Amino acid sequence: MTAIPLVFALLAAGIWLSALAERFASGRRFPSGTVFAPLLQAARLLSQQSVRTEHPDGLNWVLSPIAYLTLAVAGLSVVPFAPELAVAPLDTGIVLWGACEALTIVAVFLHGWSANSMLPLIGGYRFVAIGLPAMLLSMFVLIAAALPAQSLSVGAIVESQRSLWNVVRQPLGLPLFLLLGLAISLRGPMDYGDAADLSGGTAAEVSGPHRLAWGIARLAMLTAFAAMGASVFLGGYLGPWLPGPVWLALKTAALLLVLTWLGRNLARMPAPRMMAALWLVLLPLSFLDLVIAGVEALP
Amino acid sequence: MAARLARAPGISLQHSIRHAAILLVAGRYRDTDRSALCRLHDQLPQPRATAWWGAAPLTDVHDPVTIAEGDDPVPQLRRLDRDLLRGARASEPDWLPDEPPNAWRGKGDHGQGGKGMMGGVPYGRPMAMMGEEMRDGLMLDAMTVTIGPFLRTLPPGLSLELTLQGDVIQQARVATPAYSASGIASEPLLRAARILELLGLPDLARRARISAARGDDDEGLVAAARRRGALLALPADLADVRARLDAALRRGAAPDPGEECLVDRLAGMEWQSALLRVASFDPATLSRIAPAAEPEEGEEEKAA
Repeated sequence: MTAIPLVFALLAAGIWLSALAERFASGRRFPSGTVFAPLLQAARLLSQQSVRTEHPDGLNWVLSPIAYLTLAVAGLSVVPFAPELAVAPLDTGIVLWGACEALTIVAVFLHGWSANSMLPLIGGYRFVAIGLPAMLLSMFVLIAAALPAQSLSVGAIVESQRSLWNVVRQPLGLPLFLLLGLAISLRGPMDYGDAADLSGGTAAEVSGPHRLAWGIARLAMLTAFAAMGASVFLGGYLGPWLPGPVWLALKTAALLLVLTWLGRNLARMPAPRMMAALWLVLLPLSFLDLVIAGVEALP
Repeated sequence: MAARLARAPGISLQHSIRHAAILLVAGRYRDTDRSALCRLHDQLPQPRATAWWGAAPLTDVHDPVTIAEGDDPVPQLRRLDRDLLRGARASEPDWLPDEPPNAWRGKGDHGQGGKGMMGGVPYGRPMAMMGEEMRDGLMLDAMTVTIGPFLRTLPPGLSLELTLQGDVIQQARVATPAYSASGIASEPLLRAARILELLGLPDLARRARISAARGDDDEGLVAAARRRGALLALPADLADVRARLDAALRRGAAPDPGEECLVDRLAGMEWQSALLRVASFDPATLSRIAPAAEPEEGEEEKAA
């Protein structure tokens, strides 16, 4: 049961840290002090009107941010904070995480669809087109990471890294997995849902508390993804001297910062070019990653 | 003018009006853009305010906040924002009546004027209608929308009427042309900033705007854009955009596109690529290749 507060503490800290990192990376300093800037921004959004578009799909309009946030929490539930310390220590943890990735595509699409407006709708469709191959890519990479552990449980994958972290054993894995992280948290070079060319895409019509909810859900998914990446590739809770949860938090924070930096410093290709890159270059690379892991796992 | 705001801490320019608190009208606007300005204003979430910086307020606006063209708007904008949040200043009401912009003008059982449950222009809004996709002939929904003249990713003043199938443009028409060239020396950098934003590089775009506002030469800008893959991200069919971005970052003259017609080139292009192409032309070229379209038959009558 101690894992449940840990999940929410990690989420809250991750959302705070990534909001700060985002602000810091953009080079904007606020006179009131950077540390409280995310809180001020949240207070401002809470005091603003939440505009409703004309005839939105009311149910999905409200549910999509909630679904997005719930998927982040559900994904984080399989991440162990220490041996045997996870909310849901499933034997098939990777499968549950994969389901969360897939359903994220649905949540983002519904967000774009429900606004009943053109730019959000294009954002939703475009995200599905790019999100699908990006998700396939992560499946191969995660299966490759599960091979040396001979288990689909995230805990077993962490334990299999006692001698060597997967980031070294499978060098292609983490970079490919990070691409998916950028996609499902709608960020930088993989942000085909909420991009500036669509004036905010699926979030183009949202304001006030709704926009705050969507922003929090995005950062929560980023945090959940970073924790999963830290567990599968950076040895999760493993580490000397400090307790397991602290190591996991530190590694998650490191990945959060890397993702924030990548998100702000890599250009986004037009969708057809990214589509070609995903299917023709990155997916074959993920096969190669799987082959490397397979050959290495041979007795 | 707005480039000067890039340096101001605490003020960020938004891509969607729904994300903003204050509508800043910077510089002169055309009389014909008044209704677009009103529509834009009414989409601002409450509490909201409008500041007129070197611009004439609309006559029926109550208690307008005006800022002289030569003044720094930042202190006034800050005060306005604080007053709005504290409730010291009342939020602005709608400028337009909350009703459809056009009469119903429907026909058929449901009055929408299309076929079955699709198409037509109920209340002046074109609805999606099936049509052949221009690349493979598949029957897909086509939708006609107008973007601009105050869309941040388009050159100021330019408004395009697009028929879209998904994110692919089937047909384009210039509704209102871009504002004419202001002749300022930093124009290439502002154009580069717009392209960089379309490529998802807001920080680099801000750096270009700051350089434009200062009027200095940021030597590292081209190298920074290269490092972030801004030029690499543009595919071969956007090689002309790549060349113009490179030239704009160096404040150089862009290669002349020749006798190109912008709207013809946009047909068949995907959304982001199309916006990238539009954003890459300098104002003088844009006024030549994207003049206002001739009104279609019957349109004048409709407008009247």
